[in-house]
Amino acid sequence: MVLLVATILIGGATSCKSKKKLAKEKAAAEYALKVDQAKKDLTAIIDGSTSWTSAQMEERLAKIKSFNIDDEDVKSLIEQAEAKIEDVKAAEIRKAEEERLSREEEARRRAQQSEFAVVDNQFMAVASANGIDDANNKIRMALKYFETPDIPVLIIISQSGGFNDYDRPTTISKFLNYLKDKKDYKYRVVSAKRNSMDKITELELIVK
Amino acid sequence: MKRIAFLIVILSAFGISSAVAQELSPERKQAIDSLALEKIRDLSKYISIIGSKETPWSEANRVIDRADELFMQGSEIGVSSLVRPEISYYTVRKYFERLMRLNYNKVEISWYNIEYVSDLQRQPDGTYVGVITIFQKFKGYDAEGRLVYQDTTKKDITVYVKRKETQIGGRLIGFWDVLLGDIRVKETSK
Repeated sequence: MVLLVATILIGGATSCKSKKKLAKEKAAAEYALKVDQAKKDLTAIIDGSTSWTSAQMEERLAKIKSFNIDDEDVKSLIEQAEAKIEDVKAAEIRKAEEERLSREEEARRRAQQSEFAVVDNQFMAVASANGIDDANNKIRMALKYFETPDIPVLIIISQSGGFNDYDRPTTISKFLNYLKDKKDYKYRVVSAKRNSMDKITELELIVK
Repeated sequence: MKRIAFLIVILSAFGISSAVAQELSPERKQAIDSLALEKIRDLSKYISIIGSKETPWSEANRVIDRADELFMQGSEIGVSSLVRPEISYYTVRKYFERLMRLNYNKVEISWYNIEYVSDLQRQPDGTYVGVITIFQKFKGYDAEGRLVYQDTTKKDITVYVKRKETQIGGRLIGFWDVLLGDIRVKETSK
């Protein structure tokens, strides 16, 4: 009986010891896995091989830091990843700003296009007129948009290095007759100055 | 004397630096090449309008004024014919006035193969000079609508492009002024 009790007691103790050992080994394996995964994620952040946003990177970094991994490699990678995330954030801000400016420019261009569409349409109508009389009628109609038949018309032939190259300046009257003669309108209005009566006093076009 | 020599050195240096500053980028050079070709196409259009018997007299005269503005003062235009060996040269306005009064009932003039034979080259005074060649097909019809004369002429047109400035609305505008020079007849064939 005594022998039986002793056997059970010894057996139980041995089993408990082996369970603890297993748990310890399991924990060590999990920790090693965690360290390994942390290194992989940090390396991916540093070398830019991940498609994470800066916010996702920060989230992952915070998680890794919360593990308090006592590993010199991981600590070094964390520092590098923090610097990288700052760079990514700056690039994202720059890109967002560029996109905002691009959207604003596009909106401004569209607003201008619709603002000048009336003038462009008048010019197209003259160029596609059906004969001289029709063209002259359309010229008379178009001239109503301008302060005088002699207002200057500037035609941009190239835009390079931040400034414009122009063709010889002409007047709106001559330009409208030019369209009548050429039967072709291959320009686009880019700016117009107006007087208090909303009549155009200076027009700038660009060759398409 | 030393002062004069110093002044010459300064002026020369300024001239060189301004020449370098005016060297054109390929994009800008391309733009003035195209502009000069466009002026030739404008002239082609004007010639066909002036020559057409369907063009009202007032319109033809207006177009002559526009065509005249394309040329440098004193330029001449050559005229040839299959029935005459010599080439006659007329001042620009005289040429257009003769063109308007040609003794046919219907006239068709078209230009084609318009291209540079000598690219625009920068001259010491900053003017770009080039030569553009064109082929002109001329057809003259009588009152019965019969084709009574036709020829094809190859012509060389000298082109001058100069940078100029003008004040518009208080702004200084730099522009390229394209002016055509003489139009020389090179060949005439049937």
